[in-house]
Amino acid sequence: MTTRPFAAHAARPALPRVLRGAVALALAIAAAACNLDLQNPNSPREDQVLSNVDGAIALAVGMQGQFATTIDDYLATNSLVTDEWGTQTKALISYQSLFTGPASAIDPSYDVVLAPWRDSYQTIKSANTLLADVPKLGLDPALANQFTALAKLYKAMSLGMLIQQYAQVPIDITVAAPTPQPRAVVLDTVLALLTSADSDLAQVTDADINANRARLLGQGFDFRNTVDAMLARYSLMAGQYDQAIAAADRVNLGVLSVLSYPAPTRNPIENLAFQTGYVGALKSFVDAAKPGDRRPAYWVDTAAAPLKSNPPDSVILPLRKYSTPNEPFPVYLPDEMRLIKAEALTQLGGAANFAAAADLVNQVRTDSISTLDQPVAGLAALPSDSLDTAPELLAEIAYERRYELFEQGLRWEDTRRLGPALTTTPTIDFLPIPQVECINNPSKPCG
Amino acid sequence: MRLRRSRFVGVAAIAVLLIPCMVSAQQAGTLAGRITDAANGTPLADVQIRVSGTMIATSTSADGQYRLPSVPVGQHTVTVRRVGYAGTSRDVTIADGQVATADFTLTAVAATLGQVVVTGVGAPAERRVLGNTVETVAGQDVSESPGATALDQALQGKITGAVISENSGQPGGGVSIRLRGTNSILGGAEPLYVVDGVIVDNSSEALVSLGANATRGGAALTNRIADIDPDDIDHIEVLKGAAAAALYGSRANNGVIQIFTKRGRSGQPRVTAKTEFSLSHTPAYYQLNMSPTAGYADVVYGGADSIGAPIQRYDIQPQIFRTAKGTNDQLSVSGGSATTQYYIGGGYNVDQGILRSTDYRRWDVRSNLTQQLSNWLEVSLGGNFIQSKADFMPEGEQTQGVLTSVIFTPTSFNPSIDPTTGRYPYNPLLGPNPFVVLNQFEAPENVTRVLGNVSVTAHPVQQLTLRYLAGIDDYRDEAKYFEPPFSTSASFTGSVQNPVSMSRLFNNDLTATYEAQPFTHIGLTSTAGFRYTSDHHEVVRAAAGDLPPIGDLVTGATQFASQSVTEFRTVGWYFEERAAFNDRFYLTGGLNWDASSAFGADQRVQLFPRLSASWLLGEEPFWKSLTHNVFSSLRLRAAFGETGGQPPALYSQFDNYLNVGYAGLPGLVASATEGNPNLKPERQREYEAGFDAGAFHDRAQLEFTYYNKHTSDLVLSVPLPPSTGFSQQFQNIGELSNKGIELALNTVNVASPSFSWRSRISYAANRNRVEKLVTAGDTLVFGYLNSVVEGQPIGVFYGGVYARNTDGTLAYKPTAITINGRADTVMLPYRGTVTLPSGATANASRIIGDPNPDFVATLSNEFQFGKHLQASFLLDGRFGNDVANFSRRISELFGVDKDTEGEFTGDTIPRTYTLNPNGRSLIYEEYIEDGSYVKLREIAVQILFDQPFVHRIGADRMTLRLAGRNLYTWTHYRGLDPEVNLFSANTVARGVDFGTTPLPREFTIGLNLNF
Repeated sequence: MTTRPFAAHAARPALPRVLRGAVALALAIAAAACNLDLQNPNSPREDQVLSNVDGAIALAVGMQGQFATTIDDYLATNSLVTDEWGTQTKALISYQSLFTGPASAIDPSYDVVLAPWRDSYQTIKSANTLLADVPKLGLDPALANQFTALAKLYKAMSLGMLIQQYAQVPIDITVAAPTPQPRAVVLDTVLALLTSADSDLAQVTDADINANRARLLGQGFDFRNTVDAMLARYSLMAGQYDQAIAAADRVNLGVLSVLSYPAPTRNPIENLAFQTGYVGALKSFVDAAKPGDRRPAYWVDTAAAPLKSNPPDSVILPLRKYSTPNEPFPVYLPDEMRLIKAEALTQLGGAANFAAAADLVNQVRTDSISTLDQPVAGLAALPSDSLDTAPELLAEIAYERRYELFEQGLRWEDTRRLGPALTTTPTIDFLPIPQVECINNPSKPCG
Repeated sequence: MRLRRSRFVGVAAIAVLLIPCMVSAQQAGTLAGRITDAANGTPLADVQIRVSGTMIATSTSADGQYRLPSVPVGQHTVTVRRVGYAGTSRDVTIADGQVATADFTLTAVAATLGQVVVTGVGAPAERRVLGNTVETVAGQDVSESPGATALDQALQGKITGAVISENSGQPGGGVSIRLRGTNSILGGAEPLYVVDGVIVDNSSEALVSLGANATRGGAALTNRIADIDPDDIDHIEVLKGAAAAALYGSRANNGVIQIFTKRGRSGQPRVTAKTEFSLSHTPAYYQLNMSPTAGYADVVYGGADSIGAPIQRYDIQPQIFRTAKGTNDQLSVSGGSATTQYYIGGGYNVDQGILRSTDYRRWDVRSNLTQQLSNWLEVSLGGNFIQSKADFMPEGEQTQGVLTSVIFTPTSFNPSIDPTTGRYPYNPLLGPNPFVVLNQFEAPENVTRVLGNVSVTAHPVQQLTLRYLAGIDDYRDEAKYFEPPFSTSASFTGSVQNPVSMSRLFNNDLTATYEAQPFTHIGLTSTAGFRYTSDHHEVVRAAAGDLPPIGDLVTGATQFASQSVTEFRTVGWYFEERAAFNDRFYLTGGLNWDASSAFGADQRVQLFPRLSASWLLGEEPFWKSLTHNVFSSLRLRAAFGETGGQPPALYSQFDNYLNVGYAGLPGLVASATEGNPNLKPERQREYEAGFDAGAFHDRAQLEFTYYNKHTSDLVLSVPLPPSTGFSQQFQNIGELSNKGIELALNTVNVASPSFSWRSRISYAANRNRVEKLVTAGDTLVFGYLNSVVEGQPIGVFYGGVYARNTDGTLAYKPTAITINGRADTVMLPYRGTVTLPSGATANASRIIGDPNPDFVATLSNEFQFGKHLQASFLLDGRFGNDVANFSRRISELFGVDKDTEGEFTGDTIPRTYTLNPNGRSLIYEEYIEDGSYVKLREIAVQILFDQPFVHRIGADRMTLRLAGRNLYTWTHYRGLDPEVNLFSANTVARGVDFGTTPLPREFTIGLNLNF
């Protein structure tokens, strides 16, 4: 029965008033409860992070962290496709395919193909966010310029890393369907970013940098020298030799600039080589060194027994450098600047430039002691008559770069730039564009 | 939530303000009587007696007596109702100060149309009014369910169309319930629980990984509804789909289980005491390799020097399992006056687990108090304080698991204390020595919980009912996992974690119901209401490593701590109109606007409609004449409704920034999951239709329902181009459907003075189908093999298969192996390959099983012999479901299973892992087994004593019960128990047995006393 007669009751004095109160109270509760705009107590939103300088500093730190904690992803490809690293038996088939090639063995769905792409664009996204929002904060120019210089530097380094791995990569990712651009266009962007970072830093005093260093920059990171070193590195790649020489000249060779991994964080190369146990140095790297070259022993544990490797006919040794969890990783090594200048001078040509280049090469060769954590060759200087032609110089520069800049993520590009002077060819020319990008990018970058 | 305090104060203020409004007593008399079974004269308890048109109501005690004081003078219609009997009513006249007697005899029927159910809003309705099915389970069936410590366990076999699984046999073990199939992929699949109108937490998120890994979701060995004492329950109503549950809006996609606790009745205090003692044991042991000579695995793991050498073997299962004891003691007192009714109950439950070192205990007290402040106003308070403590042991995919260790460790390993070192030896293969885990590990979980509610019901003017209810569920769950130093290996320095979860759920409801009869043949019931819910969860975690050698607190050389908080609110406004035409045809329509904090402003408010119709065709005169009363009753019904489901993560609408430290500095980076401000609830649309037909004077009733549920806007993770800096975004993209039928036949087979017999047969078949994923070819894998594939039922097993000849037999190829240093070539089967569209070959995998049952069925029988002897049994069956027997897989691969005894002595397939050069470890097809079973879920014999000796000890009645639970299982499944699931309450990963404790066989003896 849905209806039922209500029994007659005595009068209800004063009831409606009480009732009105109760209803009013209930409605008040209802109205007050309607706030459904709850925040996430665990994680701030983007607009909160970028609403003040402290959030911007945290994002700038996060951006450096994104770059620093993923360097293994681009080092692994660089070192495995060249003659630097081999794979241990535990390594996933995707790592082995980089080592063995050919290009057809490398599936675009492999995580090793995706990882450098994904990591770089996450760093670039953070940099873009800083560049777009820091100007809105109305900061003191000294601080604002440091933010923009740092964002431009990391964006340039990420793009620069990308073009060493992939034949074409998108630059502007703020649009809905970013299209991959040729390497030359990307390099122009990298150089423009670094030049702009340089001019931002020109307006900042060392005192300004030091005032924010403890909150903004990783320990052991040298801001100015890194910008100039990157400008030198990518100017050389772009064939802008004068600019490369000028930038390299500005770098102080007496200091290191590093990415640091204090506990509980961990150097990702140590993790890959020892915790995960996927990679090791090829013994051929040690064997091919010139007699007396002290650098192989800096990089590799030359005294150790070879590791079990796959394919089994490759012989690999444990790494010595980056074998402990908190070792810093250099953003660049000072002798790279000498070798950049030597190569640029050689490319510019002319007897005077060749002589200057030979001198720089010999400086690298004859280093026998350093207060910095960097390799020293301890070799004798070469006679000037064996370093007075471009082929001679380039061959020697190629050798020095191999031993001076082992597992620094530069060898793959060296094979492109110094190819004829090298005795090796990489197993693949470039990584394919990752499958997940091919499928989901509306610009259909893979056709 | 700054306003919460004022809200409580407000409720209290209403109550206090209204007390002066109590009117003085008017002229009244008392109504009393006794209600018995028409067939055999046995007194009937729990019969509801209501004086029509008033709030005056009570129910009978165990001796069938009732007493209603303060009934206004005059003529009244008294209605009596009880489940399983035909309701009846009679007019009685009450004189001032006199006692009027009204005795009733009730006739047993199978039909239930007269039963009153609560529909989720203020106005309860008779079942005949509703076009949707509402399943009711009587409290007696829950509290008397032998050996069931948790109420969801006690529901097994009692709800048509529900698949209720106990996931593990550890005490306090979790139960998962699927009502009409699984309705989500990434979201939860368990129903919403509501106790006395208060939404309560039923979390199954593991604080510590003890079965499946906690990160898998829903992986806890227990679920929090286990805290509710089944003995406090009056009855349970189950809303199985959107058509019935629409009023719970965006939280109701998985159905709703409404629990109503016992309340007092007017009359003398009634005391009930119950004590139970139980014994339980494992239903089976694993059959282990007890070969007297060494096999390959023994040699590899150091148990023997050469294959074939004589070897000592150890089956440690008798030392791991035990005969477990349990007790359950309950005491309650209830009663009341005309204006005050109370129920106070308490219980103490102790259960040992069949696995050594596991146990569960629960203390609880409940009180429900109702006060009529006047003849138009009633205030009710309910409170429940619970403390439970479970001691678990790791199992399943935990390498520390005790049964896990049994299936992984070759039987040549003797885990007993080494007499020379005085220590337990370390496990040669994987994980710790199981005896070390049993004796030294600690995995307790302590819960302190308060459930409270206050409600005010008023009839301020004739035909208007206002009801306000506020309720809270507040608990603290303290878990711990302690692994002592050097327990698992000589280099292990110990680990302890101590997570504490705090949870607070608040809800309040305000409803107004107005009843009217605008025309002679049309009655209208209008309801409008408002609901607000607020959930707050917090987990604080402390952990330490490198522990000192003594002590089990979180102290150690390395320490970790973390905290996470989630908050969630919903607001709903609802309106419902019920129309009755000639009391034979009913239409109900409702709208629910529901808003949730989990969604962005544009998608926040969602509308959920519903509509249902019920036609009592059997009461139409034309039908009666047409069918010559073949049917004693016939009803046709149909219903439609929509509900919603919450997203898998509550803050998916935002671009969240995560903490990433770098170089010792605090940093923030954007999450790789892009926020989606347009996210909205998963939406379910359900149609159901059916009939209830009674015959033979309603002694047989058949209920039939067909339902069709389609859930769309399922939240799935959509991959984004990584050049955006993101990896994925949650979007409303998926669809799945559940279609099925439910049949229940209730019969009163015999009803004579000396013997009566009732039966119930239920059958339910559900067909689940994943209709749409992000991309048609997607295979989403959960757990090990459970997959979500378009066009398939959710959670099908997808895994590696053998190569086969064209005639379907296994293909073999010569394979080089080395045994005892001797090279040999044998013919072995191998994994099949397939050719990909690109022309490349890949290892063959295909769908190899389906954990969803084809149908579930139950048969229950109740017998009454004379007045003093009752017997009953319940068979509960599941048919056509597959189980992935990972326990057998592992024990074969490691040479532990009995099947590996004959390795290379005639068996064709070498089973051990080490003799596995063809990649056999990735072939799963042979471990998918038929998991169909029929369990003798409950059996009970009950003897009633009402002889003088009972009265001499002061009691009215005494009942002795002998009962059993899960005493026997009929199945072809080769493992210990086909019902368990490694992944507990996980939505997709079902039907996986992996070192999981089987459900015990339990025998109970109990004594009930009524004073």
